Amino acid sequence: MEKDNFEKIFVVMPFYNEEKVINDVINEIKSAGFSNIIAVDDGSSDNAFEKIKNVSGVTALKHKINRGKGAATKTGIEAAKLLGAEIIVTMDGDGQHDPVDISNLIRPILNGQVDVVLGSRLHKPEGMPWHKILHNKIGNIITWYLFGLYVTDSQSGFRAYSIKAADVINTKGDRYEYDSEVLREIYLYKLKYQEVPIKVRYTEYSMGKIHKQGFINGFKTLYKMIWKLIH
Amino acid sequence: MMELKFHLYQIIVLIVSSIMIFQGIKNFIRGKGGQTFYKLIIRIAVWGGMSIIAIFPQATNILAGLVGLEGNINAVILTAFLLIFLMIFKLLSAIERLEQDISEVTRKESLKNLEK
Repeated sequence: MEKDNFEKIFVVMPFYNEEKVINDVINEIKSAGFSNIIAVDDGSSDNAFEKIKNVSGVTALKHKINRGKGAATKTGIEAAKLLGAEIIVTMDGDGQHDPVDISNLIRPILNGQVDVVLGSRLHKPEGMPWHKILHNKIGNIITWYLFGLYVTDSQSGFRAYSIKAADVINTKGDRYEYDSEVLREIYLYKLKYQEVPIKVRYTEYSMGKIHKQGFINGFKTLYKMIWKLIH
Repeated sequence: MMELKFHLYQIIVLIVSSIMIFQGIKNFIRGKGGQTFYKLIIRIAVWGGMSIIAIFPQATNILAGLVGLEGNINAVILTAFLLIFLMIFKLLSAIERLEQDISEVTRKESLKNLEK
């Protein structure tokens, strides 16, 4: 892929208390060839924001209070639109996503084949804990039942959007239900999408973080999804 | 002449209801505490309804007839449940709206420098 093509590609990375890894993740994204990075600090209480606010190529934004991964991702996408993005990639800030996969994610959009590319951890689940796989499969079935679209990884945050898709998709979910809501929007607006296998790096660090999707958060997400339907 | 005999619970309900209704009217007149006409009507209906049932327990028979249930206590409980459910729904809707507003304000604030 030509490097010039990457100029209007923005990588949006929401994060919360990722002081230990945030610089490494940013360096990895740059090493993968992507220099437009929008890092959204979702009200962290550590010094992560201070560490990245002056890093070149990084647009650092800060939520004054914690609003959830969905809200932070949406802020990043809005920022990317303001900065003239043509393709927007979203990925987690804890280092579990490998920036090398970004090229695979954006390729179908660059080729004009689809509007949205969904990274799927379940195409290559090696190293993924069994409870995560189970949790994901349950999430996929619920998302399909409630929102009408069946994908192999409904909870993945590693995705790429064309500017057309980013303009159309309008989510209201602030927390983890955001990822499923995006699928509802794809279904509603009949956006073309494709799933692409991605690698996941479940390190001791990322597994130890308390705010990650667990079963209790899973139930909260389910409640939010149902509430959005009846409300 | 009919003798009026009150139980303690009836007096308590009457006092609490009167205070709640009085507070509501006072807040509405002074425009305090976000008291709107709609909220005042709900307050009067809920606390007034409780007072009526406490003073005239036989009024529940009318409610039972309206709801279509034989047991008057069942009718009261069912109606109360429905009212509580509606209130919780309204409350959750309001919280949801507030949450979204907070997110929107937080977003605008964080994007302030980019929009300049």
